[in-house]
Amino acid sequence: MKRVLRRLAWAAFVIWATVSAAFLVNNALPSDPARMVAGQQAPPAAVAKIRKDLGLDRPLRVQYVLFLRRLVHLGPSSFAKNDPAHANCANVGPLHVDLGRSYQQRRPVVTILGERAPRTLLLALSAAIVQALIGVTAGIFAAVKKQKTGDRVAVGLSLLGVSAPTFLIGLLLQWLFAFKLRLFPIDGFGDTTAEHAASLVLPAVTLGIFGAAYYTRIVRDEMIGELSHDYVRTARAKGLGPVAVIVRHALRNALMPIVTIFGLEVGTLVGGAIITESVFRWPGIGSLSVDAMLDRDGPLIMGCVVVTSSVVVLSTLAVDLAYAVLDPRVRRT
Amino acid sequence: MRPAALIASARSMVGRLAQTAFGREAGGARLRASGSARAGLVLVGLLIAFAVLGPLVAPNDPYTSDFARGVTPEHLPVGPSRDFWLGTDRLFRDVFARLATGARISLVIGVGATAIATVVGSVVGVLAGWYEGRWVDTLLMRVVDVGLAFPFLLIVMALGAALERTTASTIFLTLGFTGWLGVARIVRSKTLQVRSLDYVLAARALGQSTPRVLLRHVLPNVSGPVVVIATILVAQMILAESVLSYLGAGIAPPAPTWGHMLFEGQDYLGAAPWITIAPGVAILLSVLGFNLLGEGLRDALDPRKT
Repeated sequence: MKRVLRRLAWAAFVIWATVSAAFLVNNALPSDPARMVAGQQAPPAAVAKIRKDLGLDRPLRVQYVLFLRRLVHLGPSSFAKNDPAHANCANVGPLHVDLGRSYQQRRPVVTILGERAPRTLLLALSAAIVQALIGVTAGIFAAVKKQKTGDRVAVGLSLLGVSAPTFLIGLLLQWLFAFKLRLFPIDGFGDTTAEHAASLVLPAVTLGIFGAAYYTRIVRDEMIGELSHDYVRTARAKGLGPVAVIVRHALRNALMPIVTIFGLEVGTLVGGAIITESVFRWPGIGSLSVDAMLDRDGPLIMGCVVVTSSVVVLSTLAVDLAYAVLDPRVRRT
Repeated sequence: MRPAALIASARSMVGRLAQTAFGREAGGARLRASGSARAGLVLVGLLIAFAVLGPLVAPNDPYTSDFARGVTPEHLPVGPSRDFWLGTDRLFRDVFARLATGARISLVIGVGATAIATVVGSVVGVLAGWYEGRWVDTLLMRVVDVGLAFPFLLIVMALGAALERTTASTIFLTLGFTGWLGVARIVRSKTLQVRSLDYVLAARALGQSTPRVLLRHVLPNVSGPVVVIATILVAQMILAESVLSYLGAGIAPPAPTWGHMLFEGQDYLGAAPWITIAPGVAILLSVLGFNLLGEGLRDALDPRKT
């Protein structure tokens, strides 16, 4: 229990440190947010007023403290949408999260993130399924055919997959399946559920292929290790079919490290999502953060950093804790 | 330098690195026998030759639009021909010349960033591993944890904006100083193994100072995995550079980075696919080359893995 609390505290610290570093970097950007909010044609007096309203005339330390205080604070459990004190808040009970307003979109950052996050989650989950399906199948295949042609082909393809940049795979799929064969939409999100589903296929496969390539090698190495154990020989000697031996015995034992790496690869998945979403103009957090950075939209950049770093840190934490639950040997240290 | 000489010198360099890593000829022999290492060496050699010679033999300037010969009557880029070996791009510039200049950019950034990342990562890793459990280790590893959760795209863009214009040095410094985290982790775990070996204990028992033990006994014995990581890191750096320039956060145009060439070409996939195919193939083969070489080196260093 003490260990769990310590890990939680550490996770909170890492998120805080990341967000603070991002705040510093973000404020080093030579842009004038007040001018952006006011518009290019606004008179200097209006710009000055907005600068004062946004607190941009205060020293950086004060802005930082205000930012943190706003980020997570306590407030009423229910409040009117037009309540000026909580206009930019999202809340869980009395716990409020406020990331300010986007300079470009002129809406609360939490609202924008709330719209975008489920789409990225959908994309990431679909990609994870693609990744697991291809990776585990190809990995087992390569392990069974160890040192034969089938293994060489699978390993070679996986190395090719690891070497191809995500945007290259995306462009290739776009060209083949959307431009030439016209099977799927070339990009975007669509308006109906059916369109969403059709638009999801290519980005999900794109994002999944990189992981699948990486995964194939892990599964292969783990399975080769397991298949060389005595219990596999015993199972075979009992007269068990090859499928039962592989799936029920060897795969089961290889699963633990495979699942661990799955959890630790969430960071890579997030990075890949940024690129995939940009290629396919998928309106999730990834494309949002690129747009926010190119637009120098400070509050929106900070919002994206808070979300992505939290996801990465929390998934690492989840793997750590799951490991402790599953494997008693880890718990004691 | 002639390409053959270049390849030979690169080959002897890698061989020598492998030898220092094993301390004997066996590693070199295993390296030569490895198919993936040979394929990797060929690809990397071709990339180096292309980066060195390409811009010299290219018949056109990479930055100049040719409105006379580089345009079709329909105002589209011309395809591969005798004048333009790989066609022209959407601004009617020579794709071959741009690809060759881009190879220099990719290679310099890839190798430069890797050098920084490897040095920083090795120093941090050895120190953390040597002082395991003490405050130095705790501090350094916490920095690594925070770094791994940090979106590095933001740093690059912020630096680029602060310097008004993103140059090659901005990119390779940023990639270098963000890429050492993984190296540090691996070097640390290797140092933990080496630290308690007899020859290190003997050196300490003989009264050698800590810096001397670290430099003379620990560092050379963790260098094997470092060579492998560094090779694969070059691939990752080339990949990272292309991603940044594809997303518009790389070296500012008109510099012909491969990632940005791809970005410019994607709207012309139907009409002028060569604009996209050329940099795409170039990125793929370069990254593949360094990955294969890294794999070959790893297999040669650790034969049990194969």
